[in-house]
Amino acid sequence: MYQNVEMMNKLDEFLTEVRKPASYIGGEVGAVTKDKSTVDVRFAFCFPDTYEIGMSHLGMKILYGLKNNVPNYWCERVFMPLPDMEEQMRLRGIPLYALESLDPIKEFDFIGFTVQYEMCYTTILEMLDLAGLPVLSSERRELTPIVMAGGPCVCNAEPLADFIDLFAVGEGEEMNLELMRLMEQCKTEKCSKNEFLKRAAQIEGIYVPSLYDVSYNEDGTIKEIVPKDGAPSSVKKRIVPDFDKAYAPDSFVVPFTSIVHDRAVVEVLRGCIRGCRFCQAGYIYRPFRERKKSTILESTKALCESTGYDEVSLSSLSTSDYKDIEGLLGELTDYTTAEGINLSLPSLRVDRFSDEVLKKISDVRRSGLTFAPEAGTQRLRDVINKNVTEQNVLDSVKIAFEGGYTNIKLYFMLGLPTETVEDVEGIYNLARRVIDQYYANPNRKKGKPPSVSISLSTFIPKPFTPFEFEPQADEETIRERQKHLMSLINDKKITVSRSKYPISLLEAVLARGDRRVGRAVYLAWKKGCKLDGWDEYFDFEKWREAFNECGLDMSFYANRKRSFDEIAPWSHINMLVSHDFLVRENRLAHEGICTPNCREKCSDCGVIQNVGGECCRALR
Amino acid sequence: MPCVNTRAFFSKTGRAKYISAIDLNNCVLRAVRRSRLPVWKTEGFNPHTYVAFVLPLSLGHEGEREAMDFRLLEDIPYDEVADRLNDALPPDIRVISVSVPIHKNADIAAAEYRIETDIDKERLAGFAALNEIPVEKKTKKGIAILDLKPLIYKLEISERSFSVRLPAGNELTINPALLLDAYQKHYGLSPSPARIVRTRIFCADGEEFC
Repeated sequence: MYQNVEMMNKLDEFLTEVRKPASYIGGEVGAVTKDKSTVDVRFAFCFPDTYEIGMSHLGMKILYGLKNNVPNYWCERVFMPLPDMEEQMRLRGIPLYALESLDPIKEFDFIGFTVQYEMCYTTILEMLDLAGLPVLSSERRELTPIVMAGGPCVCNAEPLADFIDLFAVGEGEEMNLELMRLMEQCKTEKCSKNEFLKRAAQIEGIYVPSLYDVSYNEDGTIKEIVPKDGAPSSVKKRIVPDFDKAYAPDSFVVPFTSIVHDRAVVEVLRGCIRGCRFCQAGYIYRPFRERKKSTILESTKALCESTGYDEVSLSSLSTSDYKDIEGLLGELTDYTTAEGINLSLPSLRVDRFSDEVLKKISDVRRSGLTFAPEAGTQRLRDVINKNVTEQNVLDSVKIAFEGGYTNIKLYFMLGLPTETVEDVEGIYNLARRVIDQYYANPNRKKGKPPSVSISLSTFIPKPFTPFEFEPQADEETIRERQKHLMSLINDKKITVSRSKYPISLLEAVLARGDRRVGRAVYLAWKKGCKLDGWDEYFDFEKWREAFNECGLDMSFYANRKRSFDEIAPWSHINMLVSHDFLVRENRLAHEGICTPNCREKCSDCGVIQNVGGECCRALR
Repeated sequence: MPCVNTRAFFSKTGRAKYISAIDLNNCVLRAVRRSRLPVWKTEGFNPHTYVAFVLPLSLGHEGEREAMDFRLLEDIPYDEVADRLNDALPPDIRVISVSVPIHKNADIAAAEYRIETDIDKERLAGFAALNEIPVEKKTKKGIAILDLKPLIYKLEISERSFSVRLPAGNELTINPALLLDAYQKHYGLSPSPARIVRTRIFCADGEEFC
């Protein structure tokens, strides 16, 4: 099997001097190596963050396995080196390389980024630059490498349009293979890059930004988005036709060093029936589909056996919404208990947190529990369609306390549409009642006080949610509300952690930004911004300067109320939920009216019109 | 149920030299689980597969004959144990042989290393012939000055490498990089990349650890 020996020798000269050297060498169990002479298309799968973050990501494992299953395609992993490693690489003239072959990625056919959060945009540029490639798409003129991106953020890819050749919108399982086949063909035909892009734009779900001209009104809003060269006027999100049969990995690359989620992960469902109005994932991953119990059990066994992990976690947006969750957990725990494997269940919803479920998971090591009421009062929870009542929270907390838990974490957002001071005070009151609930338990452990940690984030309006039209609250408002909440708390059992406003502001700007924002991303990167998601590297001043220099106003993107008929930068992307539905939901939010979840009643979100009734399994 | 103390000798070379001692533990535990060998687990509140490494290896150093101990709960031919572990281990960690442990951990007193680097044979010989070789060694209490001279049990110099036997084990372990460093400092040489390979482990009586 192939390995770039020359690169290995270069790395051997200094790797012991950098932190976490094992994350820069590959060679792990499960890593796929191939004989280079038998490979026709090479794909560098880039996660624009560090190894420990990127290696925890399930989507990468799915696409990695899927592509490597094709004998003449080779997909390899690439991550952003930490600053000490990057410095060494630049000093020694080592370009960004892929972990399996150790070959420089600029020799690959595809460089594909998964864009999981907005704060990684500058890291994408840094990685391209470290690879020795021009960051601007227009300056890369050869057929290869094609720089592409997928993941949730590409539902509004505009701030990245200058840098990325094409975007894969939606589920990548089929699209990626189709693109690789197209590349195989174009390489034989010796096509130009433009020809490749023109043909790629004909694949459902592929968005080639250079094939669209955007013009602006005088007030800065978008006037028109016009496709050319036969590109579709609207790019429709791709989904896999049969989710139960879609590829699920039966092995993972097992890292040598510790990573954030170092365990087997099995996807149980896609989409979400809830429709929380602030939650982008709840809309862009529709339709709701489940895997069969037998499929999940098979994946679990295969993964645990091939990786040797003794912990497995179920992954989805809301695992407790799996229709037969009790049955699933029964079968799974039969297997995991016999094998001495821990089963962990993130994303449980408060209102389905029954005795039985708790008992099943409490065999697993217990520490703390997290609930996300998101808002402090029922009124505001109705506005955001978080169908959870205070009684739900307290009932669940009661069960948790009786089950021996003592730490409860509560997640809230500040700056939600229509929020008032009463809603802020509601956060404190809820925390208080959680503490009271603990002391109401006659069998509580004596001498060990409970603790409630409140985590406050700032609401960020996102595209393809009913709140995409809403302004983000400004810095002063958020600060005032944080201060007010802090002033109420006089109990050591309640602690509060707050997110920093600048990072939320920037996230809001990038999430709903247009193509012009790309210039600011470029300038910020030029000033040295990278790994912006890391507190220790984030430098807001540089971003502020970047926006000033290109004459863009952050508040235009973040803090402005947008009218329903404004042309959004992402209006040529069809994420299957309709504009009419989002408008309807926005109006209901302002009236404080909840929408039943998809299992109770179809809310006519547009998915069925787009992909047919068979696809959405919420009502079945 | 049998519970047989078992010792596996393995090599840790190539990319695996960047796996730290803690990570190696994890890596081997996972391999043991993948191999589905019946290895004894601790009996505490959180039972876990038990594998003990005989002598930790510095990050960046390779090992040609490292050792780890575990207990087998069934009688399985040692060749099969080796094969099943090798099927489950990453390519750069290879089990060489499996046997019944003869020595105890506490018997270990020295280790031999092969150091591949640019050396001047005569200079190195001259350096080794010095009356004393003071070096700074980090200890728990701070930095201590230590004379390496009496601790170099054996030194053989060849063309592009040399081999050296140094104290190792519970009492005192000398990292061969310390010696290389002292040699370079003595002649005012700039540090050059070196491949350091631990080749064998020895007991106090000079017998090879097995």
